[in-house]
Amino acid sequence: MILVDLQIATRNLLQHTRRNLFLGGALAATTGLLILLSGLSGGMKEGLLQSATVLASGHVNVGGFYKVTSSTAAPLVTDYEKVLAETKKHVPELQDYTVRVRGYAKAVSERSSTDLVLAGVEVAREKKMRDVLQLTAGKLEDLGKPGTLLLFEEQAKRLEVGVGDVITLSAPTTRGQSNTADVRVVAVARSIGLMSSFSAFMHDGTLRKLYNLREGNTGVIQLYLRDHRQAPLVAARLRDALAAAGWRVMDSNPQPYWMKLFQTIPSEDWTGQKLDMTTWEDEMSFLSWIFTAVSVLTGILTIVLMVIVIIGILNTLAIAIRERTREIGTLRAIGMQRSKVRWLLLLEAGLLGVAATGAGALLAGLLARLLNGAHIEIPPAMQMFLMQQNLRLVIEPGRAVAYAALLALVTTVASLLPATLAARLKPVTAMHHIG
Amino acid sequence: MSAIVSVTNVSKIYKLGKTEVPALRGVSLEIDQGEFLSVAGPSGSGKTTLLNLVGCVDTPTSGSVVVDGKDTTALSERALTSLRLDSIGFIFQSFNLVAVLSVFQNVEFPLLLQGRLGKKERADRVNGLLEAVGLGDHARHRPSELSGGQRQRVAVARALVGRPKLVLADEPTANLDSQTGANIIDLMRDMNRKDGTTFLFSTHDQKVLSHANAVIRIADGQLLGRETVARAG
Ligand SMILES: Nc1ncnc2c1ncn2[C@@H]1O[C@H](COP(=O)(O)OP(=O)(O)OP(=O)(O)O)[C@@H](O)[C@H]1O
Ligand SMILES: [Mg+2]
Repeated sequence: MILVDLQIATRNLLQHTRRNLFLGGALAATTGLLILLSGLSGGMKEGLLQSATVLASGHVNVGGFYKVTSSTAAPLVTDYEKVLAETKKHVPELQDYTVRVRGYAKAVSERSSTDLVLAGVEVAREKKMRDVLQLTAGKLEDLGKPGTLLLFEEQAKRLEVGVGDVITLSAPTTRGQSNTADVRVVAVARSIGLMSSFSAFMHDGTLRKLYNLREGNTGVIQLYLRDHRQAPLVAARLRDALAAAGWRVMDSNPQPYWMKLFQTIPSEDWTGQKLDMTTWEDEMSFLSWIFTAVSVLTGILTIVLMVIVIIGILNTLAIAIRERTREIGTLRAIGMQRSKVRWLLLLEAGLLGVAATGAGALLAGLLARLLNGAHIEIPPAMQMFLMQQNLRLVIEPGRAVAYAALLALVTTVASLLPATLAARLKPVTAMHHIG
Repeated sequence: MSAIVSVTNVSKIYKLGKTEVPALRGVSLEIDQGEFLSVAGPSGSGKTTLLNLVGCVDTPTSGSVVVDGKDTTALSERALTSLRLDSIGFIFQSFNLVAVLSVFQNVEFPLLLQGRLGKKERADRVNGLLEAVGLGDHARHRPSELSGGQRQRVAVARALVGRPKLVLADEPTANLDSQTGANIIDLMRDMNRKDGTTFLFSTHDQKVLSHANAVIRIADGQLLGRETVARAG
């Protein structure tokens, strides 16, 4: 019987090709659009992950703050070798790590000035930086020499400097006064999203000197895991493990370190060293509004499209049922139960839903491939928000299936009312219906 | 012979807004197993109404209709549907086949609804009936590919496939030319003779009427009487 049911449903669908193609097309387009949007958001997240974890964060960061008095704070991990040794014991997922000095300085050129969040790097150890940074001028290797700085295009433009120019960095230290250092710009990289508007790289030793850092102290240990999704787990584990090993550890707080440095830490009443474990998402949380915006937009669009789809379905089914009133009456007369009539109509709507949303999902996947293959460059003004240079959509198959299934379900549920009404038609009325 | 249908003092009043239209007025009727009975009367006399009541697709305003031993006024919608499926076959004026199904599938459909027979038994029964109505070669066709007479033959096969005790046909020949119509009535008569299925059908057509063996005359919602038709041959 189920085979005949399916046959009736598919044949009925094929019978009214135009109408069903229209409704199916609308369903497919809706599904495809929602999947592409989620793909865009996925691509943004991937872009963010990639640039963030090279430029500003590890998957997990073991950082911390040192307070000489309760009102001053520096982004420091003292005696980091010991912290690193203990960390390694608890993170079997560790693939790689880098140690960076963290700093914050006012950069002053001859014509202009800007604030920079600085990362002091040993460029020889930073293998991945090469993949993410696209230099427009200078050489990355030169950052290995003392007194050097790498800027992003945006910053270079703001400061009106180029490779070879010297700028002065002025940094507040733990003791309250400002230290200064003259550094030479040795490389300029293409801007990458919002981050490159204020973060810059410099020679690690020079940044240490700027802050009078003792040997053995550093800013942060950035851990890279085999699977970045483990980050929250590892961060939580480290928090417990390092606390158990005797360090003072801060509670989880999803904020970038520089926000803590300026906002929360100075008002806390403690001195000395505290460690702070964060994930890359914590460090990038100041960008989360962009994702929230995309989600809200997707959400609104989803609701609007759903309403349109539901109205379309109700309308189409109402017409379809009016057209088939006599057939329904006949089937009821020859002994088909109401529940069976309803089931047949629901099956029809469900089949249309599955076929249309499935096609929509496949088309979206195909379109995403084409778009990714075309390497479409995103206009610079948009790069900041989309966090990519080239448009890249990342569609999670599970998510695509979920969208398709949701819309197919909505289609079926929306048809419940017209199907029930049709099933309640009296066989006599239905049989003598003209049409 | 026992009565397959007992209609006792049945009235049916249609309500059209505030006006009431009496379609049947105190009709009583017994139909025995194996009868081949025609209902005749002018347009608007209540033939369709009577057949709908006997066919359990409608309920009387007063009086009782007992079909195959069951009082239809006391049955639920579900039970009425089951009664129609198992005890009654329908032949409609405009054939009412399912357009998207083949001839074979249309005839098989009531058996699928009954769900009692296996695939092989169903195929045997359907093919046997298609042979009997002269459409053995048309099993794979769609209804739209058949002539009116052929479609009504399919409908006859569909009405009989579930082995109902009673087959109802409201003007089964009205959409056919009189020769084709007469052939359909003869086919029904053959089936009636072969396995004793009771037939009740309505008609306007005097020529068709001459093929029945008994006629119930109805006018203005009242039964005028029953007469036996003298048949040539
Ligand atoms: N659904 C309905 N609502 C209101 N009145 C109806 C309805 N169906 C039938 N009637 C009325 O009931 C009376 C009997 O109708 P019925 O259809 O039973 O006659 P009939 O003998 O089948 O006529 P015909 O030969 O034209 O088919 C008529 O006066 C008709 O107008
Ligand atoms: Mg009639």
